[in-house]
Amino acid sequence: MDVLSIIDGIFKALATFATEFIGVFQKGATTFVGLVTGIVPLLIVLMTAVNALVRLIGPERIDRVAQASSSNVFLRYLVLPFLAVFFLTNPMAYTLGRFLPEKQKPAFYDSAVSFVHPILGLFPHANPGEIFVWAGIAAGITTLGLPVGDLAVRYFLVGLVVIFIRGIVTEGITAIMWARRPGVADAEASEAAEA
Amino acid sequence: MAVTSKPGIQQKRRSPFRILIAPLQAIGRGAGTVVGILYQSGRDSIDQVIRNILPFMAFISFVIGIILYTGVGSLLANALKPLASTLPGLLLMTVICALPFLSPLLGPGAVIAQVIGTLLGVQIGQKVIPAQFALPALFAINPQVGCDFIPVGLALGEAEPETTEIGVPAVLLSRMLTGPLATIIAYFASFGLYS
Repeated sequence: MDVLSIIDGIFKALATFATEFIGVFQKGATTFVGLVTGIVPLLIVLMTAVNALVRLIGPERIDRVAQASSSNVFLRYLVLPFLAVFFLTNPMAYTLGRFLPEKQKPAFYDSAVSFVHPILGLFPHANPGEIFVWAGIAAGITTLGLPVGDLAVRYFLVGLVVIFIRGIVTEGITAIMWARRPGVADAEASEAAEA
Repeated sequence: MAVTSKPGIQQKRRSPFRILIAPLQAIGRGAGTVVGILYQSGRDSIDQVIRNILPFMAFISFVIGIILYTGVGSLLANALKPLASTLPGLLLMTVICALPFLSPLLGPGAVIAQVIGTLLGVQIGQKVIPAQFALPALFAINPQVGCDFIPVGLALGEAEPETTEIGVPAVLLSRMLTGPLATIIAYFASFGLYS
């Protein structure tokens, strides 16, 4: 009798464990289906449209615009990063840095890379591999039944302000470090000696 | 595609049949090119979805499954609530993520930002964290964006090795300033959001 009840208890425990164990994955599976039906179809269509647009415009035209955008500080850290991330997407966006002078390349990189997430709310094609930086938090807003668009627009706009500030700050820091870099004193001394 | 020679064109002009056919050929060729571009774009998007997006969704779903089904969620909620539902807490999170020796480790694939974002999203959905904190949280979880990728990003921009040497610390230092600043800007920009 005692032995039987112990065996019975063990079986019940095993059964509970099995239910709980599979429950974790069932919950995960429900989430997965939600993500796949909710995000993936829109993403595929949007990515296809933008990919086609970029191919039709052609990389050489985008390069020409980029070249023209490098002169002015607003164009450089606001318009150029946006165009780069929108058309070339992460990580090819950073190739547009080649149109800038050496001293501005770190600032442009900082500016462009900081925009690969704020753009996701409105244009998820730009960085679909990292969409959950945005979609993770946005999912909470959806759960509450609130409109996500408002958050997406603000994320985008604040992102623009932030990349502009990052561009300027990093350009300043780069300039300071450039002047103090090891070897610059020697180089200047030798230049002076040659002169 | 046939190469048209001059005599060929003259022959075409003489024949009324050719006059009818030429525009049709042009339309056909144009449509073929456009369809080809669209098809290739579709192929690229599907590729991207299968290689990058679905695997990450699987991973995220598993994490969410564990959080929602086990008691981990409430533990995390207690840990994250003070960090994510006040401005000082968010700033603390930003400063930690932006530390120059941590940020390159937290960066790769934005995995950390995506997981923390998902966790916060779950908490926002359960009203543990107020909805308007979604905007500053988006910046607080992500001051390290691209810090792992600076040398590669600069190389894509065809920067000299010397620029990279200065650019890496310049960007990392810049984040110490602009990371918390971004969170503060986002905090003030979130006024009136979902209230």
